[in-house]
Amino acid sequence: MRLRKLTLRHFRNVGFAALEFSGRQQFLVGANGQGKTNLLEAAGFLTALRSFRTTENKLLVGHTQHTAAIACELEHERLGETRVTIKLRHDGKELWCDQARVTRLADHLGKFPTVVFSSQDLQLVRGSPAGRRRWLDLTLAAMDPGYFGALQKFSRALAGRNALLKAGRAVDGELGAFEQILAAAAAELIGLRASGLQALGAQLKASYAKLCDDAEPAGLGYEPNFDEPSAEALLARLEAGRERDRQMRTTLVGPHRDDFHFSVRHTAARDFASEGQQRSLVLALRLAQAAWFQEKSGVRPVMLADDVLGELDPARRRRFWAAIDPASQVLATGTALPDGELGAWQIFEVADGAFVEKPARVEAIP
Amino acid sequence: MTPAFEKLQKHLKQLPGLGYRSSERIALHLLVEKPGQLPALVAALEEAARAVRRCARCGNLAEAEHCAICADERRDRSVVCVVEHVPDLVAIERSGAYRGSYHVLHGKLSPIHGVGPDDLNVAALRARIESGEVAELILALSNDVEGEATCHYLTEHLPAGRDVRITRIGFGLPSGGGVLYADSVTLKSALDGRRTYH
Repeated sequence: MRLRKLTLRHFRNVGFAALEFSGRQQFLVGANGQGKTNLLEAAGFLTALRSFRTTENKLLVGHTQHTAAIACELEHERLGETRVTIKLRHDGKELWCDQARVTRLADHLGKFPTVVFSSQDLQLVRGSPAGRRRWLDLTLAAMDPGYFGALQKFSRALAGRNALLKAGRAVDGELGAFEQILAAAAAELIGLRASGLQALGAQLKASYAKLCDDAEPAGLGYEPNFDEPSAEALLARLEAGRERDRQMRTTLVGPHRDDFHFSVRHTAARDFASEGQQRSLVLALRLAQAAWFQEKSGVRPVMLADDVLGELDPARRRRFWAAIDPASQVLATGTALPDGELGAWQIFEVADGAFVEKPARVEAIP
Repeated sequence: MTPAFEKLQKHLKQLPGLGYRSSERIALHLLVEKPGQLPALVAALEEAARAVRRCARCGNLAEAEHCAICADERRDRSVVCVVEHVPDLVAIERSGAYRGSYHVLHGKLSPIHGVGPDDLNVAALRARIESGEVAELILALSNDVEGEATCHYLTEHLPAGRDVRITRIGFGLPSGGGVLYADSVTLKSALDGRRTYH
């Protein structure tokens, strides 16, 4: 997939911007706080109608404005030339794809894959399980409508069971009605997470080997809260745990408490890996995600590199660059222009929410 | 606007589907544009409020102890189709494909909205099954988590020891519609619910 034209209106600090992209490498350069990341955020919004920085729509709409809009023209491997428009309000969003309104997220999810590389990614290794689960859910749901369906069903049934527990009037009959749905959806999720993490782990191992010369094997390990992917077993466990759940007023067992870890040389990266190893791991994870998207859907994701080039030393930067699929479009940001060795870029200068394309450098004639 | 007008408008606005503009329009229509229709409307409201009640057997709208469907001797009382609301019943009736009787729950289990089994018309259903007249229950509840939970609840909490066959209506492609236009969730349930072709 290639983004050809991106238009923003009232999106964060960008009043209006219309960018036309040519070639496969675009670089947004400017001082901090000028709106570089906002543009990447808008491009990333296409994939799952979610921002990689916030869960609140309100923050995406410019100050004193009611609606924001992202419009995008792109070339797609399966759909050809496509136009996607997203309208954002404080309390909701609207999606249009080639002039047709899309009302079900399930029909859209994963069609327009992007992969974000951001400095916040380090939290995937070090941060709380909730962040990892969010990443895992979005990644798996983007490629598998079955996963998305099971996740929705699970969340709804869990909300029902927890509401009963919270109200303090949870009788067995009612709990049981929701547990049956909960257990079946949970078993599906556990199975799909296990196989998904295995496939992503294999991709991560390959990309990590490309980033780091020393052949230390890296991987992902699933830590399910309940490790049998069997609806009957989980149902029995939920029934047995009712008394404790009533006291805690919430459901204590299930995939909503799952986690996974990164490993290097078979030890947990969170505790033992160096800063540099952890950085390489998250880059490898994003590369793995991109490779997996492409393998599953046949669509090449657009890479959104938010200020990652600046954080890497020249040797690592070169290896990272070599690891990216040479046919993928890359949208990158930074406070300084990238080295010449990373190829030719189309450059936009960013200042106070305005984007100005810099004319292409004229090569000096020797 | 006058105080009485505003009072009327406020009451209209509380009705489902009406916002500020539409309630204002209806109030103006009733009081200014067609005041001649007003007495008939008031009389109809009063009469309906007096006469319409729930059928003692199935929960459908009725003007006697039993609704028109329950009173109809030609309807098969041994087959009971369980629905959430009266409009669901009307939709099935309109299809003309069903000659059994109904049972209206007036809702579905929804702990998030504080709806439990005691808020639903379950006791009357239990009584019907205990009387031994029911041979089959068709659960025609919505295809979502709450609808499914209600189905589970009913299957497990109806009187035991009665030989009642319980089925749930199928989910799949709409008639006359191609596979191409169905969304992925519907296609999945259509695949899950496939039948052997003889």
